[in-house]
Amino acid sequence: MEPYSWDGHLLLVHNSEQQRRAGLAAWVRRGLELGAKILYLEPVEAPVERSFMAVLEDHEIRVDAAVGRGQLQVLPADDGAFSADFWASTVDEALDAGYPTVRWSGEAETAWRVMSRPAHAELEWSTDELCHARPVSILCQYPAALSQATLQTVCAMHRAGVREALLHISPVPDGIALAGEVDISNEAILRSSLMAACSSAQSGRRTLVVDLSRLDFLDVAGAKALVNGTSAHRMNGDKVLLRAAQPSVDQLLHLLGIDRAHGFILKGSR
Amino acid sequence: MTSPVLIPNGCYSHDLLLHGCDDELVAATRAFVERGLASGGQVLVHSSEERVAMLRDAVGSHPRLDYGLDRELYLSPTNTLFAYERKLAAESTEMWVTGTVPLGEDPAGHAAWTRYESLVNEVLGPYAFHALCTYDTRTLPAETIAAARASHPGLSTGGDRSCSSVEYLDPAAFLTAPVAGIPDPTHTQPAMVVTLDSLQDLWLARHLMTRTAESAGAVARDTIMGFIAATHEVLVNALNHGGAPVELTMWVDISKLACRVTDMGPGIPDTLSGYRRAQPTGPTGLWVARQLCEEIIVSNPVGGGCSVLLATS
Repeated sequence: MEPYSWDGHLLLVHNSEQQRRAGLAAWVRRGLELGAKILYLEPVEAPVERSFMAVLEDHEIRVDAAVGRGQLQVLPADDGAFSADFWASTVDEALDAGYPTVRWSGEAETAWRVMSRPAHAELEWSTDELCHARPVSILCQYPAALSQATLQTVCAMHRAGVREALLHISPVPDGIALAGEVDISNEAILRSSLMAACSSAQSGRRTLVVDLSRLDFLDVAGAKALVNGTSAHRMNGDKVLLRAAQPSVDQLLHLLGIDRAHGFILKGSR
Repeated sequence: MTSPVLIPNGCYSHDLLLHGCDDELVAATRAFVERGLASGGQVLVHSSEERVAMLRDAVGSHPRLDYGLDRELYLSPTNTLFAYERKLAAESTEMWVTGTVPLGEDPAGHAAWTRYESLVNEVLGPYAFHALCTYDTRTLPAETIAAARASHPGLSTGGDRSCSSVEYLDPAAFLTAPVAGIPDPTHTQPAMVVTLDSLQDLWLARHLMTRTAESAGAVARDTIMGFIAATHEVLVNALNHGGAPVELTMWVDISKLACRVTDMGPGIPDTLSGYRRAQPTGPTGLWVARQLCEEIIVSNPVGGGCSVLLATS
């Protein structure tokens, strides 16, 4: 999968409103390119400046025509909107109407206003299935300030990966690919994604691949996340293959002794 | 001055031999090499071409005795220091090293090697490392000799004996003394000044440094990347331990990069922090930074807070 893809069930983690808007705009642009039906869930009483339409206007995305023909729709986020059946039937209607693909987005905090977090988590798991079974992309927007356990669960339920201002994490066969930069400001996201990737592993020995070929910067905190996020997996006798690190990343991994640490294999560094 | 004692095996020693003639040099070198070989350790004699040839003739050869040239072994103070450290950390044998330290081609280079002599005590102090540094009083200026007396805990009395040096300063004290010749880039106009308020600003600081470094055309790309990664780690420490706001100032010329990172926190208890090998569970940011950047000088300015100066060679 293309590391910067904006398709599938995606987790957008944001530290600021500006980051949230930038990620959302990129996802909408991709949808318009694909001719997708785009649906957005928003609280009815959402302040105008924070609304979906305001984000599109800020990023100079012209949607008047798309709104006119019903391609782009904002739906009220009432309790009825958060049901797996409603989503599945809405997707089917759009596909029947001839749209090649459907896109859906909203903020987790919108859902948390009308439903419990466990119920929302259940919905997310079934959403992940929906994205897997149909030509659907759902972009779920979460604030970065979540507990480690929550972040790990949220990473696990978004199979298409994580989009953050500096870091994109995408699935590859047997593991994940990192693109961008990991530092102390976003290392928790890497750690959580690694834990999620390790725990979704099949039972029995296996090697988790972490592709570093598009990772441009890694700091000490990020390198420690590589170690801590995979420690249970490696203590279990399983391996972690760090693949194709760029020279500066490779140098740090060697300085910190990660090349010699239990369960790590470094391969194909440039 | 204490009475001379035999250099002990199995621990650290760093002695200064001040010699006024070649016979003194040869005698001390021979005694030092014999002690080193008798300990079962590796022995290295290094100097200029002419002097190595003279010492080889006088001392002879042995499977555990190597001769080396300063211009090959002593490329930069930081590289040399950590190369010794890595070798000692990887091997369990004693290392015995004697010879001259190159004193640089300009005053800044000279001062950097002077600091190297002092920092050897901090970085290699935990190891079974023995050094006998030979300074020729016929050719070296008085201030170089004075600096050497302040950076060597032991004074060789010839043969295999030495006594402790009364002029010795521990490395932290040495670095604040005028003899250390700490560089000061602040007399030139900074290329960039930026204030960081949180960890969320780090990426911006890195990208601004990368852009600003583009005008240093004569600095290798690897050196620039190492310098920026080192400055990043220092910024992380400043934000985490000193607290925001943290100020980053950068100076650039065609062949050199320098940064200063200042915060208004409580200051750093140990200005030599990060020289000794980091423990796996302990803080490693400054240790990594020191591996990646030629010059990192940590200080607690009189006005409060912490100030870290970073520079390429």
